[in-house]
Amino acid sequence: MKPTVTIIDYGMGNLFSIKCALDKVGLKSLITKDISKIRNSEAIILPGVGAFPDAIKKLRYLKLDKVIIDLYSRKKIIFGICLGMQLLFEKSYEGKISKGLGILKGKVVKFQTNKNFKKSFNVGWKKIQIIKNQKNKGFLNAKDNYMYFIHSFHVKPGNEQIITSKSSFNGLNFVSSVNEENVYGFQFHPEKSSKSGLNIYKCLKNIIYEKSLQLTKKSRVL
Amino acid sequence: MRNLYSLPKKVEFCSKCVYSNQLPSSIPEYLHKPSREGAKYINFRKNLKGENICSACDVAELKKNINWKKREKELLKLLNKHRRKNGEYDCVVPGSGGKDSVYASHILKYKYGMNPLTVTWPPILYTDYGYENYKNWIEIGGFDNIAFKQNGHVIKLLTRLSIENLLHPFQSFILGQKNIGAKIAAKYKIPLVFYGESDAEYNNPISEFGSTRDHKYWFSNKSDKYYLAGLPISELINKYKLKYSDLKPYLPIEKKEIKGIDIQVNYLGYFLKWVPQEAYYYSVEHTNFKPRPFRTQGTYSKYSGVDDKIDDLHFYTTYIKFGLGRATYDAAQEIRNKHITRDEGLKLVSKFDGEFPDKYLDDVLDHIGLKKDKFIKLLDKFRSPHLWKKEGKNWQLRHRVFD
Amino acid sequence: MIRIIPKLDIKNENLVKGVNLEGLRVLGDPDYFAESYYESGADEIIYHDVVASLYERNIDLSLIEKASKKTFVPLIVGGGITNLSQVEKILKSGADRVFINTAGINNQKFIKKVISQFGASTVVVSIEVVKKKKNYFCRKDFGREETNLELIEWCKKLETMGVVELIVTSIDKDGTGEGFDLDIARQLNKHVKIDYILNGGFSKLEHFTDVLNICKPSGFAIGSALHYSILKHKIGSQKHDGNFEFLKKKTQFNNFKKISINDIKKFLIKKKNIKFRN
Repeated sequence: MKPTVTIIDYGMGNLFSIKCALDKVGLKSLITKDISKIRNSEAIILPGVGAFPDAIKKLRYLKLDKVIIDLYSRKKIIFGICLGMQLLFEKSYEGKISKGLGILKGKVVKFQTNKNFKKSFNVGWKKIQIIKNQKNKGFLNAKDNYMYFIHSFHVKPGNEQIITSKSSFNGLNFVSSVNEENVYGFQFHPEKSSKSGLNIYKCLKNIIYEKSLQLTKKSRVL
Repeated sequence: MRNLYSLPKKVEFCSKCVYSNQLPSSIPEYLHKPSREGAKYINFRKNLKGENICSACDVAELKKNINWKKREKELLKLLNKHRRKNGEYDCVVPGSGGKDSVYASHILKYKYGMNPLTVTWPPILYTDYGYENYKNWIEIGGFDNIAFKQNGHVIKLLTRLSIENLLHPFQSFILGQKNIGAKIAAKYKIPLVFYGESDAEYNNPISEFGSTRDHKYWFSNKSDKYYLAGLPISELINKYKLKYSDLKPYLPIEKKEIKGIDIQVNYLGYFLKWVPQEAYYYSVEHTNFKPRPFRTQGTYSKYSGVDDKIDDLHFYTTYIKFGLGRATYDAAQEIRNKHITRDEGLKLVSKFDGEFPDKYLDDVLDHIGLKKDKFIKLLDKFRSPHLWKKEGKNWQLRHRVFD
Repeated sequence: MIRIIPKLDIKNENLVKGVNLEGLRVLGDPDYFAESYYESGADEIIYHDVVASLYERNIDLSLIEKASKKTFVPLIVGGGITNLSQVEKILKSGADRVFINTAGINNQKFIKKVISQFGASTVVVSIEVVKKKKNYFCRKDFGREETNLELIEWCKKLETMGVVELIVTSIDKDGTGEGFDLDIARQLNKHVKIDYILNGGFSKLEHFTDVLNICKPSGFAIGSALHYSILKHKIGSQKHDGNFEFLKKKTQFNNFKKISINDIKKFLIKKKNIKFRN
């Protein structure tokens, strides 16, 4: 049976935890770098833990960058988590300036430190502020206001309309999640954010189900 | 190869625990001659597969089938017979505030309603945390305690001589610890004495796994045959200008002292299942017992035998004389209790057994007036050739359980 | 927010708990405890293989995988970690962070290597200390081996190495329920700028008040108080040997009264105005 979701294995990311979360909500998944399997899945998850330049290099080496971009053009559901979300953007200033996948307009920059804010890593449970009027399909619930973050870079989308939530660190409001059509990005780790986080994967399950229902309807009509 | 002290010539290891057949059985210390004449070693037998099984492991097997409810009933019967409600002590519990004496005294008093008199033959040199534990036993645990602080000249002399003649630093402690229960019991006319575990669980023949300690350990009529520190008493007295009264505290009780009292020295471990690690938790809970704040040299644990600075040295000398150090004793006990596997035991023995006890050695040697270089030379005198070989500058055991 | 972090000491496939880092009394199945704690609001969970350094062996990765399947909060794993390959395997099995103690004291470069390869936020440095007169000295090998390394001296060194978080354990208080070591709290508050999780001694809610009057840790690690509250006196399938006596005898350990993560969070919200998620 083909997996509903493929978790892209390019050698970086907490793949097993994501799979466990998907198992918990009843979504069939496969951790893989096999291009045909990735193409055939209903949705893809791009995970990521580590440094941007390393990550994009690995994706390119495995030719997965082209696959992801192609799948985006085919309106495949794409989930980017943590570094995975950052990779979806145009460029990052981590290390040398690196080009990202360019699926979403905008850049990735480092948290600034100063004499008042000395830490550069945002680690731990942080409150998110849900941006109203976003079609986030219930991913973010008003009750679930704490998510688990572990990062030192953050995204600055070119189009502010795609921002679905914000959080704050070092006195700065930064973007904690985005959504543009079928692309969803989360700076925090939903698979580590307890029930609030699992809810996000549940909603993924719902939209996959909705999408396949629509396809079935379409094919019936045809 | 020559084997000293009639140690078994061929070194064999138990296939269940980590003991070797060189392990000495307890003998009454006041009959202990330098040649270890009459000494016995742990029983080994071969099972149907031809594997070696030591008697301590056999006892452990027996322990599995014991009906502990029945044993407790026996205990209650015994206690009911002796319990005194008129304010008089009804049992004597010897100890120094270690986990075993805490457990024994506390459970007799607070669970079984007895009125124990605790009795302490103090360690030769208290560790500071050991002394704290002793105080807490009495102050937090809530017991009356008689401590017999030994004549300093005599205990230092005997300890030094027992190292020189027997490489046995612990003898002066053992002698007093084994007889003080009975002696105080006789003086206070309390017939019941309770120690913790039976020696059988460690190294004595199975036949000695009864409820009472064989009276030969604390009572004797053979005064003319006594040896202390490896010397006949008369020689000790003459050579070192001692008096018989100086040595009496180390000797077993005499017939006339126990006239009219039927003293019974018991092992509480016969009636109640003894798990040393759980005794540790028990004493933590009831008397704020603290373990050693660092690993005991020669082994892996921190909660057993931590009150006397000489303890470490004692186990080092068992390593020299019998090839068995503290890690071996500790691991063997835990294997039998099924707390660790034999493989884990082997690892622990290979890591820690025979570690040189330098932490407290200087303190001990200073205390008893023995020069360090003399002590180091002594060590070699007691290494049996059938156990040890010299490789360059270093001594190596010929046979190690983990090889 | 201050994280409430249950700490599970592990030997083989069992949850164990000692006092003053001594004793390996089995309290049950780690899964049962981890899942309960996750369901009742734990912010993070620590798995510590307490005999890894003793037997020179690796933590059982299948335990970490099992924990990942049932708990969806960050998992910190440690015990006997001495090389990068172990770190990689542990992270692949579902852990989010690792903690290092002995290997870091023995070789500071190792800490730098792990930070450089896996990121500073992936590493927590664990410090276990014993009080000697007025100072605290670090121990290696789960409390067994002494060092002359003083607590604050080590903390300051670690700050310069880019370590972002510590877990500081009072060995003297561990498993006693006597309360956190307040002098450690004072020293950390005065001298340490990076985040630290306090561990060792908790049993009553007042213990938090005492500490929070002195310092602000990033988290509290709690062991005995939680474990003794939810344990069940039953023994599952026993693959390995262990001290199961406590479970067999159905004893109580009265140094600890029943307390839950919920009780803890309620108290901290009410008395100390600390914010928590949900």
